[in-house]
Amino acid sequence: MSFVATMVAGIKRRPRPRLGLKAKHSMWGYLFLVPAVAILLIFRIIPMIEAAYYSFTKYDLFSPPQFVGFKNYIDLAGDPVFLQSARASALYVVGSVIPVWIISLALAKLILSVSRFRGWFRGIIFMPVIMSMVVVAVLWRFLYYFPSGMVNTFLGMVGIPPVPWLTTPNTALLSIILIAIWRASPYFMVIFTAGLQAIPETYYEAGKIDGTNAWTEFWYITLPLLRPTFLLVVVMSVIVALKVFAVPQLMTNGGPAGATNVVPLQIYKTGFEFFRMGKASAMSMFLFAVMMVFSIIQIRLFSTSGETE
Amino acid sequence: MLNLSQKSNVWRLVIAASLLLGLGLVAAQCVAVAPPAEKAVEPAEVVETVEVEEEVVEEVVATAVPESEATEESMAPSGDPFAEGCWEFPTEDVTIQIWWHEYGPFTAYVNELIERYQAMHPNVTIEPLVASQTDVNQKLTVALASGTGPDILDQDISFFAQYYDKGVLEPINLDVFCADSQADIEAAYIGSVLEGVTFDGTMYGLPYQTNSMSFFMSTDAFEEVGLDPANDAPKTWDDLKTVGAALKKVENGATIRKGYDFPYQSQRWQLQAFQPMVEQFGSALLNEDQTECLLNSEAAVNALTLWKEVTDVTGDPNTTLTSPTDPNRDFMDGRVAIWMTGPWATNQLLDSEIKDHWAVTSLPQLDPENPHTMMYGFTWGVNKDKPEVNKMVAWDFVRFMLSNPEEWLQKASFIQPRVGLLETETAKNFPFIDVHLKDVETATWYLRSVYTNEVVQIVGRAIERTIFQGVDPKTSLDQAQEECTSMLAGE
Repeated sequence: MSFVATMVAGIKRRPRPRLGLKAKHSMWGYLFLVPAVAILLIFRIIPMIEAAYYSFTKYDLFSPPQFVGFKNYIDLAGDPVFLQSARASALYVVGSVIPVWIISLALAKLILSVSRFRGWFRGIIFMPVIMSMVVVAVLWRFLYYFPSGMVNTFLGMVGIPPVPWLTTPNTALLSIILIAIWRASPYFMVIFTAGLQAIPETYYEAGKIDGTNAWTEFWYITLPLLRPTFLLVVVMSVIVALKVFAVPQLMTNGGPAGATNVVPLQIYKTGFEFFRMGKASAMSMFLFAVMMVFSIIQIRLFSTSGETE
Repeated sequence: MLNLSQKSNVWRLVIAASLLLGLGLVAAQCVAVAPPAEKAVEPAEVVETVEVEEEVVEEVVATAVPESEATEESMAPSGDPFAEGCWEFPTEDVTIQIWWHEYGPFTAYVNELIERYQAMHPNVTIEPLVASQTDVNQKLTVALASGTGPDILDQDISFFAQYYDKGVLEPINLDVFCADSQADIEAAYIGSVLEGVTFDGTMYGLPYQTNSMSFFMSTDAFEEVGLDPANDAPKTWDDLKTVGAALKKVENGATIRKGYDFPYQSQRWQLQAFQPMVEQFGSALLNEDQTECLLNSEAAVNALTLWKEVTDVTGDPNTTLTSPTDPNRDFMDGRVAIWMTGPWATNQLLDSEIKDHWAVTSLPQLDPENPHTMMYGFTWGVNKDKPEVNKMVAWDFVRFMLSNPEEWLQKASFIQPRVGLLETETAKNFPFIDVHLKDVETATWYLRSVYTNEVVQIVGRAIERTIFQGVDPKTSLDQAQEECTSMLAGE
């Protein structure tokens, strides 16, 4: 045996694990995840980490950030404008999401009860979702016109005097809540429709045998089996409501007297008009914390027997 | 199925690939926004040039730019600081970017100017970006902060002080203008217009639009109630209450037409109305060195009280379709008889239902003998963080754009309050330009401060508390003072 052959024979090759077909397919799946994970990292995770960092600084976008510790958070706690915007956001969320859950579920049940032209009805109901926010703002400005816009005209038909919807602090927030309900209900209707269609008919058949009526069927069969869908709708609707920006900005710019100055709008003004990016970042972190806490609470509440969706 | 070791290896691979891809994207972005290498242009070269090429002069004449008075012998400035040919134009290829906010006639005219300038200087490419005013504010702020801003920026006066404070603006380059000093440029304007772009004695931009905020009056509404817009135009706030009350029309408890209403569609507009009122009462919004808020001064309280009194008699803030993007809607539709707006609205009004059935008068005064009015405007500025040759070409394009104020008036209804404008044919035919220019002469600029946008919000909330919630003006302004003081203390 030559020297080389001896050396080659003497090299102990480590046994290489051979990947099976399923493993190879899995590998391709993971590789296809790479672009999405990269985008998530670059456009979500890294900016969030940066925002968290800036929240502890005084930063005007143009000069290097100066570390100020918890000053921004302490200032927020005593800032009446921020507290007013937090209150506006809280009222907006509570006022919009609960009706959205109810209306979207009702619409889903209604759509599924229609046998003919279901697609047409679904399309018409879904139209508010696909309208641009600028169109929505202009349209509703006309609808809310005081005293003779369409909304006030309908109110007049039932004997209610016209309401200055957008120019009274008490009604301005209600005005944008109604827009949110009008726009969000069709979107979540689609999610509820999918959830309802996933419930096996056998449960309803068994219920009929046991003598359920429409209400007991809904309460004891539909709702429990709709729990995972409900969790998704609740968490998504609250997050979407907490992030509302376009309608208050376009219709009222936070007025009158700050009544519709929700937190995202105040964040925008603080960062891009006042050039106080550190404080704006602190507000963003506050909003993020609220969303996280709420989502965790909801997921725990909706989970049963340790199972989570 | 992968075992544990294989799975961990795969995840390591996925995370490593993601990080590499992310780093690659970030690196690509850095390369894309890296400023080009600075061209070695020495300002001394511009100063030493003594000849003006004939071809350049002919092109100047063909594009209706005022003829340059620069001679072939010397670079001594002509009488017109905006004249062509006072410096040696670079011969290398130069690309500059210009951003501005969308407004139909304005956009069309600037695009036309870009084409003309590029025809005169084929080695120059001008890349425009047009966005809504809200979008351009945000884009510009982020771009300037990240070093990717345009060469020429369009900004409204409320942001200019902030950009100056952040050090992103280039001082005016007199070598490009036919001017020995800033005084030569100031001499071309009427009134104290250029104070708006001057910080610490140096000019950092030039206004392309200077609006007096004047009162536009519907002549149909005046005639309907037996008033004459020429003789009965309100000169004082008391006149406004009387005339406005007569013009206001209410049917079955609903306001059909307001006599006069203050603007509520935008807090920026609210400050345009409030500031001159406070100044008429003898005070200001901030003290001179802007270290102290004066929002609850006696003058401010008097101003807000007057605002409420006028509104109660002549207005109805609940009845409006005016919006930030359509600020003259109520006036055009006849929903209000008197409306405060600027000369830029002229073409828009002429194209609307109201056509030319309107007249213009100055803002009402407490003391007509000592008028206080207000100017609001937009300026062209140049980005400091650009190569020297880019900055010089940028200033030259600004000079070129502003060299024909008559054309700005004709094509965009924008007034540049320049000496001699009133003698032009377009100005002679521009409705009520004498009123607009008179108001500019007696005007102070809209609040120029790094705190302007915050003061706008604070004052806007105070006004809205009083008007929409019935809060007493003193109480409302005390709260505003507290917010403003807290804002300054946070600095």
